[in-house]
This record gives sequence, C-alpha cells and structure tokens, in this order.
Amino acid sequence: MKSPIRLERRLKQPRWLNWAIPFISLLGALIVGAVVLLATGKNPLDVYWRILDRGFLSKRSITGTLRTATPLAFTGMCAAAAFRLGVINIGGEGQLYVGAVGAALVGLWLGGSVPVGITIIVMVVAGMLFGAMYASIVGVLRSQFNTNEIITSLMMNYIAGIILNYLIFNSRSYWRDPRSVGFPSGKPLDERAHWPSYELFGFGVSFGFLIAVVAAIVLWIIYKRSRLGFEIGIIADSPRAARYVGIRTKWTIVAVTAMSGALAGIGGASQVGDFAHYLDAKGLQLNNFGYTGIVVAALARLNPLGAILVAVLLGGLTNAGYSLQGPDFPSGLVGTLQGLILFTAVAGEILTKYRLRANRAASKAVTA
Amino acid sequence: MTNSAVRMTGVVKRFPGVVANDGVNFEVLKGEVHALLGENGAGKSTLSNILTGLYRPDEGTIELNGAPMSFASPKAALDAGIGMVHQHFRLVEPFTVAENVILGNQETPFLIDAESIIDRVNELAARYDMAVDPNAKIWQLSVGEQQRVEILKVLYRGAQVLILDEPTAVLTPIEADALFRTLRAMTAEGRTVIFISHKLDEVMSVSDRITVLRGGRTVGTVATMDTSTRELASMMVGRSVEFSRVVRRNPGVPADVVLSLSQVNCDDDRGRHALHDVSLTVGRGEIVGVAGVAGNGQRELAEVIAGMRSSTSGRIAVAGNEVPNGKARAAIAGGVAHVPEDRLHTGLAAGHSVEDNMALKNYRTPLLSKFGLLRRNVIATQASDLVTKYDVKTPDTATPVRLLSGGNVQKVLLAREFSTRPKVLMAASPTRGLDVGAIETVRGRLVEAADDGVGILLISEDLEEIMSLADRIVVIYEGRLVADMPAADATREQLGLLMGGAKMEASR
Amino acid sequence: MNSNIFIVIAWSAIFYGTPLFFAALGGVFTERSGVLNLGVEGMMLIGGVTGAWASLHVGGSAWFTLSAAICIAMAAGAVVAALHAFLCVTLKANQTVAGLSITIFAGAVGLSSYFANIWKVAEDPVTRQIRRLDVFGLADTPIVGPLLFNHTILTYLSWVMCAVASWYLFRTKIGLQLRAVGESPQTADAMGINVVKYRYIHTMLGGALAGLGGAFYSLAIVPTWVDGMTKGAGWIAIALVIFGFWRPGLTLLGAYLFGALQSLGTVLKSRSFDIPGDVLDALPFVMTIVVLVLVSTRFAHKRIGAPAALGVPYEREER
Repeated sequence: MKSPIRLERRLKQPRWLNWAIPFISLLGALIVGAVVLLATGKNPLDVYWRILDRGFLSKRSITGTLRTATPLAFTGMCAAAAFRLGVINIGGEGQLYVGAVGAALVGLWLGGSVPVGITIIVMVVAGMLFGAMYASIVGVLRSQFNTNEIITSLMMNYIAGIILNYLIFNSRSYWRDPRSVGFPSGKPLDERAHWPSYELFGFGVSFGFLIAVVAAIVLWIIYKRSRLGFEIGIIADSPRAARYVGIRTKWTIVAVTAMSGALAGIGGASQVGDFAHYLDAKGLQLNNFGYTGIVVAALARLNPLGAILVAVLLGGLTNAGYSLQGPDFPSGLVGTLQGLILFTAVAGEILTKYRLRANRAASKAVTA
Repeated sequence: MTNSAVRMTGVVKRFPGVVANDGVNFEVLKGEVHALLGENGAGKSTLSNILTGLYRPDEGTIELNGAPMSFASPKAALDAGIGMVHQHFRLVEPFTVAENVILGNQETPFLIDAESIIDRVNELAARYDMAVDPNAKIWQLSVGEQQRVEILKVLYRGAQVLILDEPTAVLTPIEADALFRTLRAMTAEGRTVIFISHKLDEVMSVSDRITVLRGGRTVGTVATMDTSTRELASMMVGRSVEFSRVVRRNPGVPADVVLSLSQVNCDDDRGRHALHDVSLTVGRGEIVGVAGVAGNGQRELAEVIAGMRSSTSGRIAVAGNEVPNGKARAAIAGGVAHVPEDRLHTGLAAGHSVEDNMALKNYRTPLLSKFGLLRRNVIATQASDLVTKYDVKTPDTATPVRLLSGGNVQKVLLAREFSTRPKVLMAASPTRGLDVGAIETVRGRLVEAADDGVGILLISEDLEEIMSLADRIVVIYEGRLVADMPAADATREQLGLLMGGAKMEASR
Repeated sequence: MNSNIFIVIAWSAIFYGTPLFFAALGGVFTERSGVLNLGVEGMMLIGGVTGAWASLHVGGSAWFTLSAAICIAMAAGAVVAALHAFLCVTLKANQTVAGLSITIFAGAVGLSSYFANIWKVAEDPVTRQIRRLDVFGLADTPIVGPLLFNHTILTYLSWVMCAVASWYLFRTKIGLQLRAVGESPQTADAMGINVVKYRYIHTMLGGALAGLGGAFYSLAIVPTWVDGMTKGAGWIAIALVIFGFWRPGLTLLGAYLFGALQSLGTVLKSRSFDIPGDVLDALPFVMTIVVLVLVSTRFAHKRIGAPAALGVPYEREER
C-alpha cells in the first residue's frame, strides 16, 4: 500500500508561505466546513453569506466585531508570546479571568475617588499584574520542576472559573453587588472608571483595542530587535545552545510566561473597563476567549501584528455567531468552524516544512 | 558468478539538493569480509541503507545470490537474509537483550515465551564468542555489549549477509579485536560480512577485499593483500595525503598555566558521579590531548570547564582567576572558548542565521546591543567580516547554519570562538565527520591559535589526531584521569590499553 | 444502599473514576505508540453526544439500544482520533497543537455542541440509561456489596479491560512491538514493524476508549446530554496517564483517586458538611497539578516509563 503523494523536505522556507498559509488554511476550513454543513442539511453559501453580512458588512457589525476582537487580540498575543519560547501556555482563559478580577478590584476601589486617567492606568496595570502572577505559577512549575505546562495551565483555567463563581455567586465578596439578591451579579463600577471609546472612520473603537495594537507593536519589537527576543529565539531553537552561551533559560521561561499572562490579564481588564463595567462572572466564562486565542495565535503564525488581524477576522466570525444564534444557526457552529480553521492551520504548517510530490508508480516494489 | 552474495549495479540515489549515490557498482562474494571504504559523505551509508531496504534506489539493480531483488522495507531485506548493524544502535533501551533480539521477528509466537528465547540467545552468543546476559536491560550494558546485541539480533533472524557501519568507532582496541574474531567465526561458517569504515588500518587488518567509494561513485575494488594503506588513502581522497606530527612555530609554555582544574568532581545528567577528582593544567600555547573512549566523562569535563555544568567540588581557574561554578557567562568572560562535540545544536543554534550565530557569544556587549536592543547592522558587519576571514562558504549571512556543509558549520563555530580572543580553547572531536580538506583547515586553525598563545584542550577519541597535534596527552577512563605523559613518549598500544582501563603499571 | 459515608465515597470513587479510567487507558495505548493525544476532552464529548443520540434514536430492547449507543460512541471517538493520527502521523504536524485543535474543534463549544443542537439531544433526558446491576444479588451485602457488586456493566468491563491491557502490553508480541514503536520508532522500523500502522491503530483505540468514557457521562452519570459535560475530565485523564506511569493498573488506581475527589463535592454537600462547595470543586484540578509536580520532581532523573519517542513524529528519510 502506497500513498499517492509523498512529502519531501524543504531546505528553505519561501517567504510567500508566511502569507499564503493562513489564507490556504482559511479556505480549506471553509471548504471542510461546507461539507459538514451540507452533511447536516444546511446551505453553506447561505450560512457563510450571513456570517459575512453580520460580521463585516456594516458599520454596526464592524463595531461589534472590533469589540469581540479586543479580548481575542490579547489572548492571541498571550498564546503567541509563550508559544514562541516553546512554552505551551493554554491558560489564557484563566489568566483573562484573573486579570478581570484584578482590574475590577482596583476599579471598584479607586473609581470616582481619583482622576479618571489614573483609575484607568491602575486598572490596566492591575490586570497585567494579576494575569502575570497567575501565569507565573505555571512558569515557575515548568522551569523549576519541568512540570508539563499544558496540563497545569489548563487546570488553572478551571480553577480560575471556580474562583469567579465563588466571588460572584457563592460568597459575599467585595466584587459582588450586595443589592443583587435573587440573582447575584458583580458590583457596578463608578462611571468615572469606565474606559473611553473612540470613533474612527465611523466605527466604535474601544480603548482596550488601542492598547492591543500598541502591545502588538511592542511585542513585535521585542521579538525582532531586543536581546530578550534574541534569547527567546535561541532557547526555542536549541535549549542546549542556550545553556552553552549561558542564557538564563529558567528565568526567561518564568518572565515570558508572566508576560504572556499579563497580556491575557489586560484582555480581562478591558472586559471590565471597556464593556461590562462589573465583574461579569458568567459572561467571561461564556465566550471561551482564551481558547479562541490559541486559534488566533496559530493562524497568525505567532506573529503579534498578525494576531491583531486574525483577531478581527475571528472576532467577526464570533460576533456574527452571537447575532445569528437561533434555531437555524445552532450554537457550536462557530466553534466548529474555528476548530476547523485551527485544524487546517496545523495541517498547513506542513507546507512550510515539506513539498508535496506525486509518488510515481514506476518504482515497483517487491515485498519479499 | 555463483559465488556472488550481493551485486549492486549502477545504483543512483538522489536527495533534495544532493546525489548521494551516482552509479555505484559493488560486488561482494560469499564468505568474505568485504570492506566498504570512503570518507564521510562518500555515499557508504546511503548504499548500505539501500541494500537494507531503508531507502529505495532511484536507478540501478540489486542482485542477491544472483537473483534480482528490490526491497520495499528493512523487513523485506531482513527476510531475504541481509542484516545491518548500524553505527547508532537500533536498540530499545528499556527492553532486555532478549526482547530486543526477538523484536519484529515473525516466528515469535503471539504469547512471548521468555525461557526458550533466552536459551536461543545464549546458544548464539556462545557460538560466536560474544558474552552478554540476555536478561540485562540495554541501558545497563556497555557500548561494546550493545553492539553484540545488535549482531545477535541479525544472526537470530538468520542473516547470511551482515553489514556493519563503522563498528569500531565506539569500541576500545580490545573490544575491536574481539569483534574481529567474531566476524571471522561468522565468515568461517559461510556468512558474508560487509564492513563499512574510513579507517585504513583496520580495513587492512580485517578485510579480504576492499571497495572504495568517493563522491558517491565507485573508485575501484582491490584485494587486501595486493594493496597498501598509502594506495587506499589516495583512492579514498583522490590525491595522496599524509598526516604526521605537526610542526609548531612557537612551542607551548607549560609553566605559564592558563587553565587549571584541581580535584574537580561532578555528576552527569542522570545524577551519577561522572568526574572523580580531576586535576589538570594547560599551559600557554600548549595543546593537551584528552584521549578516551566515548562516554568516559569527556562531555562532563568540557561542560564543567565551560560553566555549563556545576561541579560538586573542586576549583577551576583560568589564567589564575577562579571561575564561578556553573556560570557559562562567567567562563566566557574569563576567556574560555568551547567547540563542543555537538556543533549544530550545542555550539550553534541550527535554525538561526550565520549572522545570529556569529553574535551568540558577544550579543550582550555594548558593541552589539544598547538599552536591551540589538544593533543589527553591527551584528551583520561582524558576521560578514568573520565569514571573509575564515573563508566560510555560505550564500549570505542570513542563511540558517543548518543548511551549511559540515566543514563550514565548524568554520562558523571556530570563527566565533576565536573572535572572542580566548585564553583557553576546548575542542571536542573537532574534526569528526569532516572531509579531509576541512580536517586540515580545522587542525591548522588549532595549531595557529596555539602558536599565538592560546592553551588548547583537545578532547578526542581519534588517537591519530591526538598523537599528531598534542604536546601532552592525558587519558580519561570512567571519569578519572589515569595517565599524563608527553606526547613524544606515548605509543598507540599504550594509550589503547589505558583507554580500555588497564592500569598505568601494567601498561609499562 | 449502605449509607456509611466512607462506603459512599469509595463507591463514588469507582463510579466517577470509571470514565476517567477509560479515557486514561486510551491515553496509555496512544502514548505507548509515541503519539501524544491532547484531544481526549474533545473525543470524550463527541462520544458523549453520539452515545446520547443513539440511546434516543436506536430502537429495540434496552440492551440492544445501549450496546449500540456504546459502539457508536466508541466509533465516533475513533473517527476523531483518526483525524488526529492523520495530522500527527501522516502530516507529521506538531502533536501538541494538533491535539489542542481537536479539543477546540470537537469540544464544549464546537462540534459536540453543534451536534447536540441539530439533533436536539439536550431537550430530552436519556430515557435508556446504563444502570447499576445487582450482581449475584449481593449488592446488599455489607461493605463489599456496594463496593463490588453494585456497579454498571461498564465498570465491570473496565476491570476486565485493565487486566487485558496489562497482558496485551507486557506479555504479547504485539504489545512488545507497540512499546518498541513508542520507545524507538527507528528501531521498530528497522526490525520491520509498521510504525504508521501501529500509531494509527492505537491512536484510534485511544479515541474509542475516550468516546466510551464520554458516553459514560451522558448515559450513566448525568444521564443526559449537557454541553461541555465532561468538564475537564479529558485533561485529568491525560495527567492520569503520567500519574499511572503508562501502566494500566496504576492508572486504574489513579482514576479512582480522582473519582473520589470529583465525588467529594457532591457527597459532602448532600450531607451538609460545612466546606465551601467551590473548594471541593477545585480539588481535582489542584490535585492534578500537585500530582504532576510530584511526579516530575521526584522521578525526573529516573526512567519511569515515559515512551522515549512520545510526541516526536517519525520520519524515515532523515538527512
């Protein structure tokens, strides 16, 4: 038995592949998605058109798309930052929750009592710190004990979810609105702790989205031009070479994991400051921003600037999913499509390493 | 014709970017030890991988006992009676010897009957004079014993043709002699042995006939009794070469110590005691050779000096200044340069460009970075200067080093290490796997550096290399330095015995 | 049932541990072949939803319906696992990312939820569920009765499987070859063992067992379909494989330990113990981390059974 195609190793990776692969992946996912839709009795063209319409074709839909894209950009950068080092931090979900907890804490505490600017800055910093600290548990365990970070970061996601539930639903914490008796909810922030939003080309752009863009640029400079970025690249390429030149690998793992968590943490802070204006325990857990961030990072091929673009793309998909959800647009469809995109992105990576070649039938093999 | 065991005609095998075999003709007779001689990259391994079914030839025919054959897989070749003992053993470490021997054998019943297998293995081992315990786990065995398991594996399958790929590379001289006896016992029973090597002496002593490969083509086949090492060497490299003791411009100054180790102990990766009270000095401009069979603590020795591994006791000083324990950056700053054995993944970051690799040791200096940001243009200039100075053949400095040839990889590494202006340079097997031209360049660079006053610690399993370069030779065995003598006084036989664990007195 | 709290907890440990064991045993097979499967959670959920669907829509006797549901759940898990094998073995993709993509694709907000929606599985409770048996009529025997003779057929099946799996891995030729593939695919290939075939088969076997574990949730534990109902069990199963040192017997013990932790919340709450429910809910996750740290520190320098080639794609023509 012989497969009709075979894989031939590429010696060099052509540059155009960097751009082509995400598009090929996306196209592939849409085609496979169409098969799934057809098989389950839906018209794929109709579904795709409605997603496009609700996600990208009006000012209102783009505003909603950017809103969804904001947390995805942060969780995408969170995943990308750690993956670059070879640390598979899939704890963006939990780090986002914890960032939201931190930002809500200082927002509730300072809101109205100090100038708006300071409140907002402190909220951002608190989100970063909380996210970073939560993530650095994973980083320390990995660097000190070589504990598998995939599983620990995932377990930390579930724990963070339980912390949220505890703070809002199962306790009388500082975050819970004491007036919400029957149905518990978060205590609302003072209006002077709300983050501003701006009108750009007629679309509403949140403050958080702007921070995401700045963060992406900073991250890009770190990777391309900084000593830290150089060291991260060496560690990822060859841990032995890193040891050989005396790079502090353990320290770098903790630092990068913390940085990764800080990014997700700002995403959480933005959920509180930009949109919900209280610690929304249910809403945060509903959207799977952290997991979708992994899709974002993979599709952006770990490039932070790419992560912004991909976040907008997937934000549109998700946003359309919300507004279309109903009997003929079942939940789970958007997640399935996202999974397919990630799938094809993973499979697409193979094009960077191998060339596909047809297997000639000429080489007849005698199996003795 | 009827006496032919294997005949390969016009075999061509291409890989992306290289033609590994380019019309090879090769015939082996039944019951002989046939050596396949050639430099690294001459196509020996590719040819044997084709013969054992791992690769399929793009062109050409293979005949086994006169009948044309084409093997779809190693299994098919094995079933047809061709077995291979690889240079890197194909053994499953956590398995026992017996489990490894029966692995993949179709005759093994579904339920494994341990008793009868062990009897069979014992019987085979006794017949060919190979002592090995069938119940031992592979990782508990010495390298020589592991090789015996490999041979037992193919014999158990009833192989009539055995291919051995550089079998003596990992053996002590004593173990090698035992291996040669085993091979003779096998050919005496009518089995055929193909012996792949690039070592002229051992080829002369073990084989009946020799086929020489160069650049993927057959140069010729000669009977061993009708040829000489000199003739073989010129067939192998295409011109006559002589390795002899180097002539030094400036002799070293042993009294002016640049590197000293006193009573150094350390553990290996598995936490076992790897170096025992090692004391050693290297003088200015002196080349000290560390001889020993692989795995006797050489790697740990180099790593401890380079600060990549912490010692558990003892002290290390460079030019009189003590180097902090286990701090690679401090060792580098103190003047220790290191050409590790694993060039591509320890000495270099293989996926990174020539440019980045040239900056690997000094990217933190103010020259190359400011405020935590790299000065990319200076890094590029540094790299292109070094590429010119050391004659590195690369399309440009942005090319990843993994795409360079072995000789050029080593040049990149040496260029960078020498550019740090070291006081001491450690070189571990610096010429292994290189072709003759590159070997000459690398050795020339080492001697040149020593002439300029760098103290050199040359760690190598290649006695030839140590005897031709070193001023002084120490022998390492099981983590201990067991001898220290001027190179002029050392003989091959004596070093061989010491490397095999013989006591100093006994060797005298 | 005997209401002694220790017996309740011990019984629950076995009950809740059973699906964990199925998924973890699947992981043992998959990882022994050298393939890392982080898609277990997704495979469990697909098994759960297809099993629930089958129990609602396949006619016939209860026994027939449930047998069919189990077979369908296992087949569905195996199909998803085949995708994983295609990515990891054939395309030699990064196994970590491939596994994650499986879990995202098939997981709580992905295909399993989509299927549940279009098949309207969640609207009806599963009428035919897998019930506890009263084996030999001994269920009422004090202590051993509830512990040993009052479980579902699947629990008894899991004990058989545990024994068979140990025998298969360590006593048979196929098991020896499987372990060789996971330890050193180069060696296995050189000895004529079909590495690709072994990896596909055991990845799919792992997926089938994950599907069975998922079906246990939707047919026995809850028993109805709820989106994302496994709540991280797939991930705990992956940790259990490490905890069990890649051996079926130890994995079974580990599964029962985590089963006990999972059930603690339910059991203690129902008896109004004054421990915050959230702490108990978090316990399995915290314990997983603790166990992983212990395993990785204490045994880091010794060989503890992790297949040497785990997570490494096998490539024959390496140059």
